Amino acid sequence: MSPLIEELKVKLIEILNLVDVKPEDFDENSQLVGGELGIDSIDVLEMVVMVEKDYGVVINNQEVGQKIFASLANLAEYIQENSSKTIS
Amino acid sequence: MVYITGSGIISSLGTGLVETETTLRQNRSAIQPLQLFPLLQGSPLPVGAVQDIDQASSLLPRTHRLAGIAAAQAMEGAEQPPEAIILGTTTGGILTTEQLLKSGEQRKEFYQYHSLHTVASTLAENLKCTGRVIVVSTACSSGAVAISLAMKMLRSGQVKSVLAGGVDSLCRLTYFGFHSLQLVDQNGCKPLDVNRQGMAVAEGAGMLLLSTEKTATCSVELLGTGLSCDAYHPAAPHPEGQGAFTAMQKALTDAGLQPNDISYINLHGTGTPDNDLAESKAVRRLFTNPPPLSSIKGASGHSLAAAGAIEAVVATITITKGLMPANTGLHTVDPALNLSPLTSPQLQPATAVLSNSFGFGGNNGSLIFGAIDTFAQSTYQPATPGLAIHGYACLTGAGDILATCEQIRDGLPASGMAGLEIISQNLPSKLVRRLKRLPRMTLSLASKAYENCGLEEKPAAVFMGTSWGALSETHDFLSRLTESKEQFPSPTDFVGSVHNGPASQVAILFGATGPNITTSGGDYSFEQALLSAELMGDDAVSPALILGADEGHQTFSPLFDPSITPGTALSDGGGALYVNRDTKNAKCIISLPFYQSSKTEDVIASLVNSLVAKQKTDAYTVIMAGIPAATKKDGEKQLTRFMELSNLTTPIIRYRTITGEFGSASAVAAALAASFLESGIVPGKLLDGHDLDVTRTTGKILILGLGEYVTAMELFRP
Repeated sequence: MSPLIEELKVKLIEILNLVDVKPEDFDENSQLVGGELGIDSIDVLEMVVMVEKDYGVVINNQEVGQKIFASLANLAEYIQENSSKTIS
Repeated sequence: MVYITGSGIISSLGTGLVETETTLRQNRSAIQPLQLFPLLQGSPLPVGAVQDIDQASSLLPRTHRLAGIAAAQAMEGAEQPPEAIILGTTTGGILTTEQLLKSGEQRKEFYQYHSLHTVASTLAENLKCTGRVIVVSTACSSGAVAISLAMKMLRSGQVKSVLAGGVDSLCRLTYFGFHSLQLVDQNGCKPLDVNRQGMAVAEGAGMLLLSTEKTATCSVELLGTGLSCDAYHPAAPHPEGQGAFTAMQKALTDAGLQPNDISYINLHGTGTPDNDLAESKAVRRLFTNPPPLSSIKGASGHSLAAAGAIEAVVATITITKGLMPANTGLHTVDPALNLSPLTSPQLQPATAVLSNSFGFGGNNGSLIFGAIDTFAQSTYQPATPGLAIHGYACLTGAGDILATCEQIRDGLPASGMAGLEIISQNLPSKLVRRLKRLPRMTLSLASKAYENCGLEEKPAAVFMGTSWGALSETHDFLSRLTESKEQFPSPTDFVGSVHNGPASQVAILFGATGPNITTSGGDYSFEQALLSAELMGDDAVSPALILGADEGHQTFSPLFDPSITPGTALSDGGGALYVNRDTKNAKCIISLPFYQSSKTEDVIASLVNSLVAKQKTDAYTVIMAGIPAATKKDGEKQLTRFMELSNLTTPIIRYRTITGEFGSASAVAAALAASFLESGIVPGKLLDGHDLDVTRTTGKILILGLGEYVTAMELFRP
């Protein structure tokens, strides 16, 4: 299990206020946007801000964004590939 | 008939009708990089700014000054002040507030023009209007909704003239807010273009003097209006443009016109990918062969609450000058839209113009203007006053209505602020995870009032009064903006910060696609919501929810609310009523027989005249008086004079001693009055110690609002 994925689970639960979700129940491969968690376009923008702020990765293209936010695993992969900061 | 007897406009296109018309004829975009305030990061985004407005030497914020300029133009030549003012605004004094907060200003008097209400009350004072002054805040449709409400008020026969319009100034909240939603096109705005990337935030004011009496120079009529709500999403439009379609269709019906009567459509056309697509679907569904159409927002930018009013003034130019403006900024039409917007200004007579305005929360308004004496008057049945209450709820520092009633039965105050878990207890966490205090209270009130009515039918229309709007979201947005050096403002907080956010949440919860109006009138915000519901009449798909709520905020409430002195414990809450027109089976009936500025000459005599003169002296069983702490001296004087002039000996409850000080405390009073009538008892601890039996009496409960305005609500059994 990648530490980045675990870190992102905690962050998303916090910034999206997913009070009913525990990190261990968060399936990184399931549909993130429009899935069971009720995550929508406003949440995506909130995640865009977090990714830029915490990882220095800018996402400003809607089409790319759709692929990145398809699942938490995809998001982690994108951050891993594009981050200028060292991620363990 | 409703005639346009005066109009005023100030925007990036110019000041006044002549300059505006010239810019439109030139098909020139007035959108330029922001200069109004300095930025900490990056290059300025394109905006539609008003040029040549003098910098303030007074405390009066930019929004107030823009409104004043447009209103002065509209009133030019008018002999009498308008009998009422209905204004749409979302920003109020926020630009000034942002600067004051940045400088750490703690003195309350500097924030006296923060509220939306003060934009309209300042106008009223300058124009000497002593009648009803209403502020509508439904995001980007505010101006259109204000004009729609003005038309209803004129048709009701209550007044002969209304000054109606919309205003907003540029500010950090909207500039960074729309940018955080990735809704701003960094290269200027090009509505309907295949490469459109968003809007340009703008500012301005548009005003119409509407009258039931024709003047020698007037040449345009307001023919009809239509309101709807998407009830779909807090920020995105319904993908099929369902709400937009309904608003246009209702406006046509209201005007008594067919789609082929429309000569030109002034589109909302913000330039965002979603809006333009949804609007095009709605237009093509309603019009087999759409008439010439365009959006002027590529020229002017999107002036938010002002847009609907500015474009209403442009519609009058289209009709009087035969000038259909171009879709400025357009290079290649998006083929997906299947529309043919005007690529250059077209000189062609126009007898009827449809103007669209849609906003956050899915709040939609469409207006239809026509050349004078061209169309027959549509048939219109004014609504009868009085709404039937079938369900009610309140929230106070004590908790819900049961907890509140228990507290007051024991003679204890219900002031303070209920915990977040109490105000959210009947709401699923998934529903409210993004919502802060005000929208949670509002949803809780709405659900409980619906539950209490025992009827199946869900509310279809929503009328909500709030004095201060979502203070937590506004505060948190501005704080994070400052803390992150303008880099990472929160899109969630921006969407939540609009005054109509809570009412749009209620609409989504119930699928309420009828009119959805949020009013913000200081301590009389709930009364304004009730008035709007009465005016909308049967147009507002029955049943409806009427709500009033305000949140206490540690930082903002003591700075903004004149009734809260620093150090006083905060109180908040609100009330909700589920109403329809079925008076026979109702728990009770509510009406609003009086609403005037206290500057009206001998206002209390008029109050007595309109309430008591035609009734027996025992008409009222109890009077609930709302006297805001900031106007205690005047309010008490008004109450004393009312009791003297009316010869009433009715017991009085000063309800703010129960609820504590907050803007929409009168909504709590209304819910409590409904509960007294249903239970048949007014608790003795509120009076002289003895329970007051109101089971057998036919008496009414009178709720007076005193202070800056004098209002009267009556609740009585069917």
